[in-house]
Amino acid sequence: MCNVGDDNFDDLENSKYMPAKEKISPFSKCNKCREATPIVVLRSKDKYCKECFLSGTVHKFKALLGKHKLIRPNDRVLVVHRCGHAGTALLHFIRTGLDLGTHKKLRFEPVVLFVEDHSHLSLKERQELLKRVEHEINYFKFTMHLTSLSHLIRKGVNSEVLKNCAEILDLDDDSKSIIDNFVTKQTNTTNKTDFLNIARHKFMVDIAKELNCKFIFTPEISSDVASQLLTDVSLGRGSHIALNTGFCDFRDDTVKILRPLRLFDMKELGFYNHLNSLNPVTYRIVIDNPYKSIQHLMRKFVNDLQVNYPATVTTILKTGDKLALGSNKIRTCDLCNAPFEEESADLNSAESTQFSHWVSTQAHNSSLTSQERYIQTIEAFNNLTCDTYCFRCRQLMK
Amino acid sequence: MPPCSTKCGKNAILKRPKTGDVLCKECFFEAFENEIHFTITRAKLFKPNSKVAIAASGGKDSTVLAYVLKLLNQKYDYKLDLTLLSIDEGITGYRDDSLETVKQNRDDYEMPLKIMSYKDLYGWTMDEIVAEIGRKNNCTFCGVFRRQALDRGAVLLKVDYLATGHNADDIAETVLMNILRGDLARLSRCSAIITDSGDGIPRVKPLKYTYEKEIVMYAYFRKLVYFSTECVFAPNAYRGHARVLLKDLEKIDPSVIMNIIQSGESLKINESANMPTLRKCNRCGFEQRIAQARDWQVK
Repeated sequence: MCNVGDDNFDDLENSKYMPAKEKISPFSKCNKCREATPIVVLRSKDKYCKECFLSGTVHKFKALLGKHKLIRPNDRVLVVHRCGHAGTALLHFIRTGLDLGTHKKLRFEPVVLFVEDHSHLSLKERQELLKRVEHEINYFKFTMHLTSLSHLIRKGVNSEVLKNCAEILDLDDDSKSIIDNFVTKQTNTTNKTDFLNIARHKFMVDIAKELNCKFIFTPEISSDVASQLLTDVSLGRGSHIALNTGFCDFRDDTVKILRPLRLFDMKELGFYNHLNSLNPVTYRIVIDNPYKSIQHLMRKFVNDLQVNYPATVTTILKTGDKLALGSNKIRTCDLCNAPFEEESADLNSAESTQFSHWVSTQAHNSSLTSQERYIQTIEAFNNLTCDTYCFRCRQLMK
Repeated sequence: MPPCSTKCGKNAILKRPKTGDVLCKECFFEAFENEIHFTITRAKLFKPNSKVAIAASGGKDSTVLAYVLKLLNQKYDYKLDLTLLSIDEGITGYRDDSLETVKQNRDDYEMPLKIMSYKDLYGWTMDEIVAEIGRKNNCTFCGVFRRQALDRGAVLLKVDYLATGHNADDIAETVLMNILRGDLARLSRCSAIITDSGDGIPRVKPLKYTYEKEIVMYAYFRKLVYFSTECVFAPNAYRGHARVLLKDLEKIDPSVIMNIIQSGESLKINESANMPTLRKCNRCGFEQRIAQARDWQVK
């Protein structure tokens, strides 16, 4: 019984496998201007010269923001900065957009936030890293706020934890144990990561409120979004895909989280930085075992598949774009704040799992026949009350 | 082993991948059967006094399905008329052997058996098709032919339902595969427990919420006879990426399977998305997926 749904027979040869990579001829011309010699190959097939590549990349950034028409002139936007090509490119996109003299100028007011979250490094390395990040943000001349994850966990969000220069941010020596303690109730790495991500998300929204920002920009790129989507499906957050991976996360009434880089891949942004002579801040990372958690595995899966099948990430993204919020906004989850799944009278996986656990833990009364035992079990089961968490968060709050 | 979670006094013999509870043999049998009964009654899979064909391949899923349906039908008085329906694709070294297992099931469970063969229906066995077209896309042809053969068999037997042995792992794998392929139409219907094949005979999946591992353990402890060889034309056939991914995920956390099904059930397709529709074939008037089989026959 291994063949539900693989009855794909339209256009047999092509649809069965994703197209593999093409070989590029060294004599070809830029796809766009058809004149200059190309220097970048994107999606393993499209060739661009420097000029066309840079203008195309900037256009792509602006087009996505413009298409959604969410931000009004003078709105304050909290730009979340992270170390790496995506974060640096985002700062550059915004700075060049603000400095434009034409009508295409960006008109919002950015505030950059950097949350120090590198507890695997030594205190000295972290202080060093923070200084370099400060230098990078200063280079782009943005108003900045620095803080660290362990401060947010210990003190919550208030004006005290947000510092405007690296010197006065006093990093915790024991950040790692503070974070470990925070997620100590979660039984495995998958749940710990999930729980911590929800917390990071909440801190971010609270900081935006503290700083009077109506929008947040986060630097996730296409492969981040694709692995997030598959992770969401695997964790049972299918009805939240539109919020977690779409352009706009509107679960909070006042602050909207936008993902302006969600259509870019790492190569595009890497070349963008390189051609603009930008060197993102780098730091030592730990190479984790991909089987440590579902989040790790999904990241590896997407990246591995992408190497041989360049359509992987775009296919997943496009699938995600066609999914709507499978829930109503009337009730929201107490933990992740996402709307509850629409209630349906049909049997679903959650109820089946609950029932399985129920029948596996009910005391066995051998004086009854098995039919009588079933009736007793089902009556007690029907009286179970539901709680205030969504399907997935219930597993975290058990 | 630790004591059984139901506190019946016995020692557990297995840990349930679905819930993490540990059960003894008797409590496992009761929980396993009660869950399928719960699925059948709660999802209203069958109306009383109806005739049900069980799609039987001789493999673990269909063997356990036939055994449990017969048992529950008697125990809870479903008033169902059960019959086995098998498809003979004509694959030497695979189907001929597995059909012997189905015949054994027919005798053991005292159910009538109907075998539909590709040779009779289409004039070709799979062996002959493979000899003609070579070793490519074999499963695609075979799958389309088999689905139509099951439909035709169900019509011939005048049944009200066709029950298939798809388990929770199969459904979860299909959800992942349809996301990776971007197949929205199938993504939106693959997690339904009842599907209509277009000819009015609903297909139902009573094992939809049952883990493959538990099915194997149930068959093992009940000493059921089943056939466990892979098809000679498709060792590790397609679905590759999704299957490998699901097995890896399951190693990290077995509850992933139920989570993926939950996601599949709660996904909503955007109203503005373009969805392909099944069109009627202009040669025979059947819906497209039936017409495809006919089209190949003509060729």
